[in-house]
Amino acid sequence: MLKGAIEYAPSTFEERGAAVAFTTPLLSQTRVRRGERSKLEVLIPSLSQGMGIYVVAWKSVPEMVSMTMHDRYLHELIVREESCSPYEIRRATLKAARRGLAGPKAAQAARRALEEDEEQGTLTHYLLILSILKAVGLESPEMLKAGIDTDEGQRLTRQLMTRAAESLRMDATLLYARLADIAAVTAPVGLAHSPRPGRLTRGLNDLKGFRDGMMDWARDVPSDTAPVAEFCAEVAQHTIAIGEKVLGDFHRRIEAIGPLMRDWNDAFIRVRTQAARMAWLLDGWTHITGAWEVAQAEDRHQQAATVNDLFRILPLLPRQESSRDFVGDSKQVKVAHRRSVRMLEDWRTGQMDIDAIRRIEAVKARAP
Amino acid sequence: MTGRGADGQGGDDRLPGLESRLFDIPEDKFIEVVRLLERVRDHPEVRQTFAAIRPRLVQVRPNRRPTLKRVLCMPFEDVLESFGGVDVPLGRIERRVIDPVWRLVTECGDGALIDRLDRQVQETAPGNLNALRNIGRRLWPMAAQALRGAVEGAGEPDTGRQALWRSLLGDEEMRRQLLDVAAFLEIGLTIESLKDALAPKPLAALDDVHVDAIGQAAQAVARQSAGLVYHLLLVAASRMANPADLLAVLNDMDFGKARREQPVIFAQLSGLVVTNLEERSARLEDKDRGTGHGAGPGGGAAVAAFAPEEAVAIAERLVAGIDTTSAVMDVLADPLYRERLDAVKLSVRSMVSGAVLDTAPAGILTAVPAPAANGRPAPVDEDAQAAAEDHARALRRCEGLAGALGLHEPLKDALASMEKGLMARAQALLADYPQVAADPDDAETAEMNLFYALRLLELVAGPAKADRLRTAIMAATGEFAEE
Repeated sequence: MLKGAIEYAPSTFEERGAAVAFTTPLLSQTRVRRGERSKLEVLIPSLSQGMGIYVVAWKSVPEMVSMTMHDRYLHELIVREESCSPYEIRRATLKAARRGLAGPKAAQAARRALEEDEEQGTLTHYLLILSILKAVGLESPEMLKAGIDTDEGQRLTRQLMTRAAESLRMDATLLYARLADIAAVTAPVGLAHSPRPGRLTRGLNDLKGFRDGMMDWARDVPSDTAPVAEFCAEVAQHTIAIGEKVLGDFHRRIEAIGPLMRDWNDAFIRVRTQAARMAWLLDGWTHITGAWEVAQAEDRHQQAATVNDLFRILPLLPRQESSRDFVGDSKQVKVAHRRSVRMLEDWRTGQMDIDAIRRIEAVKARAP
Repeated sequence: MTGRGADGQGGDDRLPGLESRLFDIPEDKFIEVVRLLERVRDHPEVRQTFAAIRPRLVQVRPNRRPTLKRVLCMPFEDVLESFGGVDVPLGRIERRVIDPVWRLVTECGDGALIDRLDRQVQETAPGNLNALRNIGRRLWPMAAQALRGAVEGAGEPDTGRQALWRSLLGDEEMRRQLLDVAAFLEIGLTIESLKDALAPKPLAALDDVHVDAIGQAAQAVARQSAGLVYHLLLVAASRMANPADLLAVLNDMDFGKARREQPVIFAQLSGLVVTNLEERSARLEDKDRGTGHGAGPGGGAAVAAFAPEEAVAIAERLVAGIDTTSAVMDVLADPLYRERLDAVKLSVRSMVSGAVLDTAPAGILTAVPAPAANGRPAPVDEDAQAAAEDHARALRRCEGLAGALGLHEPLKDALASMEKGLMARAQALLADYPQVAADPDDAETAEMNLFYALRLLELVAGPAKADRLRTAIMAATGEFAEE
């Protein structure tokens, strides 16, 4: 059950856990991980405005907290996922939202996100084929003209890819299999020259907007919350700096597609690791940047409450990922934060805070 | 008329399509368009466009190109009536007063000074508040004097200058407002610095720092003239979400030289708060009558004047005002005020009953479709679902108003009836599910309908009761059945 509040400074992303877009206010963006003997655990930050993190056995959560119907459904889906990386958690979250359990707007947003994932997958696959053909000197204007979605275009593509496989001294089937593997890993990040940036690259751009927004807000609205906003901007900036390095490295490796195909075993693992690192880095930020966008339409009191809420769920970097001790630094900020934090009333009364749930669902409808 | 008819344009749409588009474009683009329009703002069609887009201008508040007329209005801009809506600022100044004020000031005021200040305004960058206030510092006292002179000298022999004033004779409300404007202008600088202390508007609550700022400003104004403190307080009240909150702190404030007038000011302001609440509730009734609601018994066929959530938000603001005022009025022990506040409450109660409780069956239950007779599930209607969810949330928010408005029983009945109705409709869908489950698309549609019904039940009855339905749905669909 409840193991008690602990001071928490995780070493790795896996230890920090993946953020789950629950709609119950107390559970919103709590993190889930595989603990001892691979048992699922949920990490609930700053319960009742206290310091530290509560580690709760996954199966005990519905008994402890009055969960929304959406969250009970999502809870059961996550139990059935083999691992709990950001990818699996996102898949489960989109499925729950698609069912309508977070409201019609969130359902529509989830359907759109799934469609975009599919389109991005197809686009990445196509661009990677062009990269491979270019790498072996087989660029074909006829193929581009016919388009990959026509019978003629597909016939030409198959022909050229067979020649490309010969040039790379591998079986065409193997080339296609590797292409599929790279496309799956690359689509969420996106290729450097893609006409539409991948989901994670867009997330990194949104994070830059959030950082600027926090800095502007801290300057324009002097209050107890200004240092909290400044801290949010610093964490965002630190994450952006690491993210840009990872992204640059990832794109360089993907662009060298010839060597990647040839030195497959090592090179693919490196690419996959970089893509996963990118996903972990941005894990939890989608909700935060979305919540700040939603707060733009609100008054400054509400914005201050949002900044404090976001501070509580800020994805601080694990020790292995950053030289700076953000967990330690966050304690300096908490003094101001505790004075103005919004109460988590539902924890005390067991009543559903309909307005708080609605705010979370509004973010989900914007950033599923 | 014929000219307009010839080009196919009505008088209300001189820049066809632009006005409506200006409500939809992103904020930065809107500001850009406003800037461009301001360059040709004297053109009648552009003026008309500005009038049409005013609600968005109020919301976005782009830094408009400064004009001397706008600087003149700064001290009383907070008490200017809003566009549409139910809320009215305390001691409001109607917008129709602005043009006569401007004409009186330019006709009766110091022409040379006005010309000089006008040139300075034209050289001032939009958003340079300090420069504008500096101009105001010289404009406002002169304008106040000109206005007072014009209004008070209205009965004197015609000097030619009073032509305008003569045309306004007999309009007592206009006379009252012109004198109020003169009072706001006299204390313009103090009002401007108080605005900074009471920002951003509307203030959700009065903190100590706000109370101190109001107290200090009141003392400064009292040194000028005790009678002007009342006007300063009108501006302070208009910057608050619940103006009645000001009454609660007024008695503990030190008015300095206006200490002796404090009880009178308090009584004046309390009376105004009550009148203001009455005025706001009268607007509710007008709007209600305007849509035909309340014309017939039950209101079944009539359309409610307010969407459920809007009705609850208005009611929350009014009830907060009534509660604070009641608590303060208890000190005065005046039964007449009590009766007037009770009448306001009755009108709010009737608005909430009409817009939220009576319309709940049509607003919530009908979003859950009945099983179709043709063996296919009813299509999912997400717009109807979104509207029903808003209605269900409004119904739950009424719990916070039930005590003040005496709505406990009707609300309890409405919630129980919604719970029963939703459960019955969900059970009917559940019973129908096995017939449609064979086809994956039909099964998915049927499941969406069930999940949406579950959401409504959750909103109306809470998660514990909804969870029973969730378990039944999961058992029917077999989604989480153990392999």
